[in-house]
Amino acid sequence: MTVPASDRTAVKARFEGVSKRFGSGEDAVQALDPLSLDLAENAFLCLVGPSGCGKSTLLNILAGFETATTGRVLMDGVPVTGPDPKRGVVFQQGALFTWMNVADNVAFGPRALGKSKAEAARIAAGYIEMVGLTTFARRYPYELSGGMQQRVGIARALANDPEILLMDEPFAALDAQTRELLQEEIKRIWQETRKTVLWITHSIEEALFLATEVVVMSARPGRIKARLSPQFAHSKDPAVVTSAEFVRMKADIFALLREEALTAQQQEAAR
Amino acid sequence: MSAAARRAARRSRWLNLGSFLVLLALWLLLTTPLVAGKPFVAPLFLPSPMAVGETFMTLLNNGYQGKSLAYHVGISLFRFGLAFVLTLLVAVPLGLWMGMNESVKAVLDPPIEITRPMPKLALLPLLIIWFGIGEVAKVVIIVLALFPILSISAMQAVRGVSQRKIQAAYSLGASRWTVFRRVLLPASLPGIFTGIRVSIGIGITMLVGAELIATTAGIAFMAMSAADFLLTNVVIVGVLIMAAIGYTLDLIARAVENRVVHWGGKEG
Repeated sequence: MTVPASDRTAVKARFEGVSKRFGSGEDAVQALDPLSLDLAENAFLCLVGPSGCGKSTLLNILAGFETATTGRVLMDGVPVTGPDPKRGVVFQQGALFTWMNVADNVAFGPRALGKSKAEAARIAAGYIEMVGLTTFARRYPYELSGGMQQRVGIARALANDPEILLMDEPFAALDAQTRELLQEEIKRIWQETRKTVLWITHSIEEALFLATEVVVMSARPGRIKARLSPQFAHSKDPAVVTSAEFVRMKADIFALLREEALTAQQQEAAR
Repeated sequence: MSAAARRAARRSRWLNLGSFLVLLALWLLLTTPLVAGKPFVAPLFLPSPMAVGETFMTLLNNGYQGKSLAYHVGISLFRFGLAFVLTLLVAVPLGLWMGMNESVKAVLDPPIEITRPMPKLALLPLLIIWFGIGEVAKVVIIVLALFPILSISAMQAVRGVSQRKIQAAYSLGASRWTVFRRVLLPASLPGIFTGIRVSIGIGITMLVGAELIATTAGIAFMAMSAADFLLTNVVIVGVLIMAAIGYTLDLIARAVENRVVHWGGKEG
């Protein structure tokens, strides 16, 4: 199934018949059925789906960490062959450089791209301020809370001024209050920078609150089950989550996902 | 460190000191003539702490078998130090390389894995035939013992580096060399230091073994040859000096580790 970009804006990245099979022979697992998907420029696209549906695989293929078994991924029309600083990645947790303080973590990208120490430090300071950690710039990751660590991860990815941000359940390990605050912050950052974002989450609310596009995936092997275009990403009001429209869409996606989650559970039990 | 942790640390220090003092008191009790003018244990088997202290002063002033005490300690430290530094410089880079490259691992694994469980002291007679009774055989035997420890710990450390950190670095535009220098190497340091501390203990043991055979100097040689003349005082001084060397080296290794691995290997 080919899903074209919903509006007329340019396509930033395109999955063309991408599938993924792990292992070989009888143990092989089809993680992803051939799938095509456009990521429009400046879109905030959320992938939601049951565990094991291959949404992280999709992100890893676009990041260049994994290769597709069939099909290809294009960014600006050019096939993705490996990691590239044009695509910044934020991980769930445990991806910070624990031996570097916050400032050095965030300056890592600019340094790797050949900026001078002073220039990299200046860039880092700006993004550290953007995520509100200026007073913690000299601290080490283990001295920070989980939420602060994720802010560092976000600032680090932004410091290279990437064209696409890939975020793999960045808030999944955080407590509910921290998650909500960070969601508001991400929304503000996205409204300011208008980066193209591919975001993976388990949380329907998170997807609706942040995304301009929500893609619901089926249980393994992953296929696109539905595609929605919520309008809440443009709102600055955290209370949109209580609006009638929000609640209705949430119920729709919940129903879609429930079916898939049950299928996923049966798959688990059958193994 | 929190106040509770500080209190616990202080408590541990007092208990350490107490335990040490109890052992010393026990030694005194066993060697002091309390009943009928005779100690519980004859001085031939266990001299008193004071007698050992006197012997230490005598050795310090007069040396042992024509060589000063500092020379005996120095030659032992030289053997260990040379072997340790040589191994560190070769085994750690090689281990890191094995951890990063499957082909290198496939080539180097068999010699390391086959010789790893072999008691290296058993090779000493052979090494003496090959290298004579000079310093070479002693250094080589220590190198052989430390090599697998340091290379395997470096290999496992680098293989254990979280895939996410490596991916994060590449996605930030890092070259392979930058990933090695700023991610793989620092992330491997805690594991490498564990190997270093284990190899200090084993290295000292090997040193003692090597010095027991065909030597004319060294702190273990001093203890061993003194035993031939039943000079128990000298034996005990030798044993205590060896213990002190091992303890001090471990202390140094720990201090260096705390400086280099300042994040304590903690996940963030």
